[in-house]
Amino acid sequence: MPEGSGYLQSTDLELVQAARAGDPAAFHALVDRYAHSLFALAVSLSGNIADAEDMVQETFTGAFRGLGGFQGRASVKTWLSRILVRQAARHLRYARRRKAHFIPLEAASQSSLGVASSHPRADTRMDVMAAIRALSPEHQGVIVLRELEGLSYDEIAEVLQIPRGTVESRLFRARRALQEQLKEYFG
Amino acid sequence: MMECKHAHEMSAYHDGEVPEPSRAALAEHVRGCPVCAAELARLERLSLLIRARGRPEMSAQALERLHRSVDLQPKVALLRVAEVFTAVAAAILLCSGIWLWRISAASASAEQIPLWETVAIAPQDLSAAASQEQLARWIVEDLSRKNGHD
Repeated sequence: MPEGSGYLQSTDLELVQAARAGDPAAFHALVDRYAHSLFALAVSLSGNIADAEDMVQETFTGAFRGLGGFQGRASVKTWLSRILVRQAARHLRYARRRKAHFIPLEAASQSSLGVASSHPRADTRMDVMAAIRALSPEHQGVIVLRELEGLSYDEIAEVLQIPRGTVESRLFRARRALQEQLKEYFG
Repeated sequence: MMECKHAHEMSAYHDGEVPEPSRAALAEHVRGCPVCAAELARLERLSLLIRARGRPEMSAQALERLHRSVDLQPKVALLRVAEVFTAVAAAILLCSGIWLWRISAASASAEQIPLWETVAIAPQDLSAAASQEQLARWIVEDLSRKNGHD
């Protein structure tokens, strides 16, 4: 049973308030609620499972420390995504400095990603993931937050701390770039 | 490929991010514009491709590790407080050490005062001796002068 199962009916804000009051089960409930979606976002941004797991852990560590400062102006999902995007940028800078040899996502088994495997679909997935990762970090961010996380333009602007108009123009250019890279799928 | 001045608006239109009444106007435009209709179809196809890639899920082991790290957070916070206190205590010790060193250095200087006083007294003795010598010389000169006059 998940550790925060006593809070299944609670809203995100109630969980934050309970966690802030010192109830660890409330924070565990937040982890259960958002770990998978943050992991999916982290995988898309880092292209690396080990880094994605580290980023999610650091995100919740940052969230735990920042509980007192959360004022509820943005949703909890937006707040956590913003922390994760910052962690991703930090990881990217660090990775560039050490020039480490990452285990590429394509090399990881599909089962470790929790995604069902069938050959044509797996090929498509790999092509799409490779195309996303070939984008600039700015374009990756907007595409992942919009297409995978389903965030609105205002929420993406809040997460990435950029104007809404920039979100719109980056999405337009990122989609054009993706169409170019995946043109074989557009017959 | 032909372009339409409205083609760049299709991305936001596709995302449902164009407010009314512009949205209704764009919908009307798309019905009569093959360029924008094709752009919209490509955007829908792209969204399907991206979403079809599936959503990677964290493994059960990684999730367990995550919960364990959350359990450690209060202890980590306590350790951080302890670190701060240790740093403050170290700073106080350092300042106290410097203060004590300066005090002992000042005391050492104070102990040298008798020597200094000894040195200070010496010129007085010398000056006193000099005065007596001077006095003797004056007496001799005075007597010599008197004898000469006589």
